Amino acid sequence: MSRPPRNAVQLPSGGRTVAPPGTEAIALPRGESVADKKTSLFQLLLKDRFATVAAVVLVLVGLTAVFGPTLMGDLSTRQDLGATNRPPFSFSDGWAFILGSDSLGRSMLARLVVATQTTLSVALPAVAISLVLGSLWGVWAGYHRGWRETVSMRIADVIMSFPSLLLAVVILYVFSPSAANIVLILAVTRIPIYLRTARAESAELQSRTFVDAARTFGTKPNAIIRRHVIPVVLPTLLTLATIEFCYVMLAESSLSFLGIGIQPPDVSWGLMVAQGRQYLQTAWWLSFFPGLAIMVTTVAANVLAAWLRIATDPAQRWRLTLPRKRLLVRLPVKEVL
Amino acid sequence: MTIALATGSVLALTGCSVANTGTSSGADADTVRIVLPIEPTTLEPCDATLSSTGVVVRSNTTEPLIERDPTSGDLEPLLATEWEATGDTEWTFTLRDDVTFSDGTPFNAEAAAFAIDRAVNSDLGCDVEGQMFGDADVALEVVDDTTLKITTEAPDPVLPLRISFIEIGAPTDASAKVREPIGTGPYSVGQWDAGSKLTLNANETYWGDAPAFATAEYQWRSEGTVRAAMVTRGEADLALSLSADDGAGDLGLNYPNNETVALRFSGDIAPLNDIRVRQAINYAIDRTGITDSLYAGASVPADQLVPPGVVGYNDSLKPWEFDLAKAKDLVDAAKADGVPVDEKITIVARADQFPKIAQMTEVLQEQLGQAGLNIEVKIAETSVGLQYQVRPFVLDEGAIAMIVQHGNQAGDASFSTDSYMTSQAQMSMFGSPEFDALLADAATKTGDDRQVAFADALAYERDNLVQFAYIARMSGVIGKSAAVNYEPNSLSGDELRLAEITPAS
Amino acid sequence: MLTFLRRRIVSSALPLLVVVLGVFALARLTGNPASLYLPLNATAEMRANFTAKYGFDDPLLVQMAHYFGGVLRLDFGESLRTGEPAAAMALRAFPATLQLAGTTMLLAVVLAVIVGCWAALKPNGVADRISSFVSMAAASVPDFWLAIMGILVFAITLGWVPTSGVGGATSWILPIATLLLRPFGVLVQIVRGAMVSSLSEPYIKLARSKGASEFRVVTRHALRNAAAPALTVAGDLTVSLVNGAVVVESIFGWPGIGKLMIDSILQRDFAVLQAAVLLTAVSIFILNILIDLGYAGLDARVRPAGRRKKSSRAASVVVAEPKERKIHVQTTP
Repeated sequence: MSRPPRNAVQLPSGGRTVAPPGTEAIALPRGESVADKKTSLFQLLLKDRFATVAAVVLVLVGLTAVFGPTLMGDLSTRQDLGATNRPPFSFSDGWAFILGSDSLGRSMLARLVVATQTTLSVALPAVAISLVLGSLWGVWAGYHRGWRETVSMRIADVIMSFPSLLLAVVILYVFSPSAANIVLILAVTRIPIYLRTARAESAELQSRTFVDAARTFGTKPNAIIRRHVIPVVLPTLLTLATIEFCYVMLAESSLSFLGIGIQPPDVSWGLMVAQGRQYLQTAWWLSFFPGLAIMVTTVAANVLAAWLRIATDPAQRWRLTLPRKRLLVRLPVKEVL
Repeated sequence: MTIALATGSVLALTGCSVANTGTSSGADADTVRIVLPIEPTTLEPCDATLSSTGVVVRSNTTEPLIERDPTSGDLEPLLATEWEATGDTEWTFTLRDDVTFSDGTPFNAEAAAFAIDRAVNSDLGCDVEGQMFGDADVALEVVDDTTLKITTEAPDPVLPLRISFIEIGAPTDASAKVREPIGTGPYSVGQWDAGSKLTLNANETYWGDAPAFATAEYQWRSEGTVRAAMVTRGEADLALSLSADDGAGDLGLNYPNNETVALRFSGDIAPLNDIRVRQAINYAIDRTGITDSLYAGASVPADQLVPPGVVGYNDSLKPWEFDLAKAKDLVDAAKADGVPVDEKITIVARADQFPKIAQMTEVLQEQLGQAGLNIEVKIAETSVGLQYQVRPFVLDEGAIAMIVQHGNQAGDASFSTDSYMTSQAQMSMFGSPEFDALLADAATKTGDDRQVAFADALAYERDNLVQFAYIARMSGVIGKSAAVNYEPNSLSGDELRLAEITPAS
Repeated sequence: MLTFLRRRIVSSALPLLVVVLGVFALARLTGNPASLYLPLNATAEMRANFTAKYGFDDPLLVQMAHYFGGVLRLDFGESLRTGEPAAAMALRAFPATLQLAGTTMLLAVVLAVIVGCWAALKPNGVADRISSFVSMAAASVPDFWLAIMGILVFAITLGWVPTSGVGGATSWILPIATLLLRPFGVLVQIVRGAMVSSLSEPYIKLARSKGASEFRVVTRHALRNAAAPALTVAGDLTVSLVNGAVVVESIFGWPGIGKLMIDSILQRDFAVLQAAVLLTAVSIFILNILIDLGYAGLDARVRPAGRRKKSSRAASVVVAEPKERKIHVQTTP
């Protein structure tokens, strides 16, 4: 069976791909990267300072989420009504209060650490569920076109014009406000984003020569989708998912603002920002640090995703293998010309 | 009235938004600008016991026959000059003869009877009927233009108090509510840009003294920070329902709002069915810690359901002391007798019911947990929370300790006990026949006997029942700009009398 | 084109019905609103009266039939809260939201195009890195935090703008600035990605070799090609603004439909909720159709001939669902 064409020019049209400027002029060091992919991916990462920092941040966040609650779970719930709203760097009270204390005298640091797990355990599953469901559905609809596509798109329209807040209230009412139910709400309401993107990409791919060829050889639709469509569509969807990761964390925070998000005694970054807003004038750190955590995590995720996207795209990988200075000097000259 | 505030805060949760300010930040000497937490849903006088409506309507656009002085607790004449009991179930009111509604219609006994009949006896579903009268109807007899007789189904020593909650609107359609009523008050409804702002204009034919401001402009913002900011920046003269951290600074005025926050127990469900567990909870709560840290000392530990100044307040009761060791001992003793003290008790709170309710819930969870109890918390959206608060209760989720906030604005303990304490009360989850008898007996008494009887009943509840763990007597914060003079009182959140606001200079 | 339009409108009618039916059914799952509307100490009899009066004890299908019977006569019911006609309340709130969303998106698109093009001229250059970082950071701040901080800083400390409300022109600044950041951040990424690829296309080289000025190359050729993905994403972002600038509307006291919806949901004001959802759903459907039309227009005029799809199979069905509608995502390497 034919593989998706590896040449950038034949990849889907539009902004998804960047054809190397003057491809013929530069010798692409392709061979070596294929030879030892793992090492070189890591080496490539080290070459890009931004991506390295992003990766380190994400690893730290991940470790915090996994081990944080074990290490700091008790500390994060220990109240001290005599020491509320201590400003950051209150070293006199010990290292735990380096980020200050909250309105009940609990360590902000410990709260942030414990909240990492809740935040990620809401955001990651929500993104993953909507990514998988939305993408598969969209690819399927776009590949088959016709009534399947029309029906799918109208369902997407229904979900998109449905007030997600109502869905939130209903689910929280009928069930109860728990992290799992919030995941459900966020996942369902974000499915159309992937559905529409995947459908568009897949609709275009299914008319391409290499798919036509596979079809002519009698390959089953599901196999074509699996082998030829999904690999090509995936990078776009993954990048979209990184952006959505940010959206989902913010949406969870907005739910908390409206009083229907994560409920105490659970704690998430979004909830901390929402609760801290009452103290913006008296204790800014209550909402600032969790807000910063959201921002740093999303920016890191986006930077790394963008890098990964190029690093895994054979047509673009050359960019990263070039010495940094040369890249910077070279590109403007070539492209602006 | 308890309920006025409670229901009001239901609405406060949501609140409509919007309003304008913008260009109006340049103060106009003839206009007082007030920012509320939510837009009134209606100005219908018979719904004025809803605090969102009442704060605009009461004693501003419409007036009652009698009003209660929020400071002294005494009833004072307004549209009625005097009233007296003229029989077991009959009261006679003498009305003013020099009053007209703002549209020129004369005010007389006929009009008063119409308004009372419409509010109490009709099928309109008026809020004041639900709060003050229940299913009982009253009979009205117009003797002459200035004399009105009201007959109740059963003897009712506090009927004048109840009547003081009925705002008298001009005769109108008896079968439909009106959004913009005509009244006798110092102001009349001017322009209402739904969603944005509401303007009241001084009533030029007002029978009393003309108010200081020619117009009053209401806006509404759901965030306390924003309301405080409007006062700070001079976009509003008064901001209601602030909390200590909203940033009004020196412009924030603290006032006791007569609200009491308490945990209400489901005393028929284990482990709360054992009085020792309920007592242990009372000992385990660090009330001073809560009032000092969460409310910066503006609220004080509570000793009973009603505040001082209410008929029936028992001044010999003191708040439970904070004694964790005693709490643990009580729990252990109960455990030794086979009480399943490890079963979960859920603290239920209504989100945003009062400032920092979520924080208070977390503090309570922590403190009760230290006494050795298994505590979970549930912070619920208002509609869900109400299912736990009023009948029919949620009974299949184990023991419930519900955080309630109750404000007795009527000045008589019976309004509190009828709602929260008798075993069949709409918001009581358990009681006892002896206690019911005490309360029923107290309700028939008058004068000093009434005071003593209710005070004894409240002491009985504390010693023998422990239906509640009283936590704090709350206070409110009103933001006031330097441009106006206003002295908040315990009623300010339900009834903001515009006539009491004057320019500062 | 007309065929497409007709089919789109016909095929949109059913989803609209599904939305309204879904809202109707889901809203009623949230329980009887009696306790919200009655005093706390209301008696059982009062509760029963309330429930019967509004028909909340009827079977769901009966309630539905009753409601849709009314809708056919353009009677959308009355608000439980205010007693006003629900349709009037929704229609009164909608323009405020549309104005806010429209202005915000217009600004976001203009700014994003400028910044995105600037960044795309030198991929990985300083401008690219900065704009990418700033736009990502901008898109990751919770809006209520931003709104309150904006009020504290710009209204109180600096005194430049009013805190809130819908007065003069200055009162628009804070709500728009708050709403703007996320669409701006997302769109910058999209425009930049699309521009980077457009600028490296052969036809751009052709234009350059013909001596077209750089400005003309960027604005007339590359940008028009990059407009399609930006249009799609801008459309989706507009939908989310139309449907729910709830937080910003609440904080700034903006009398819009998002605030009306959340109030109606929390207050179980079913008729108003249904009217509001119907209104926004209709406008979202219209918006989607307009975007598709816009895309089709762009496609016909801008795409260089060489890049058209040759497959006749694809061309024959393209009317059913414009297939180019997709999101191009490309972030900084």
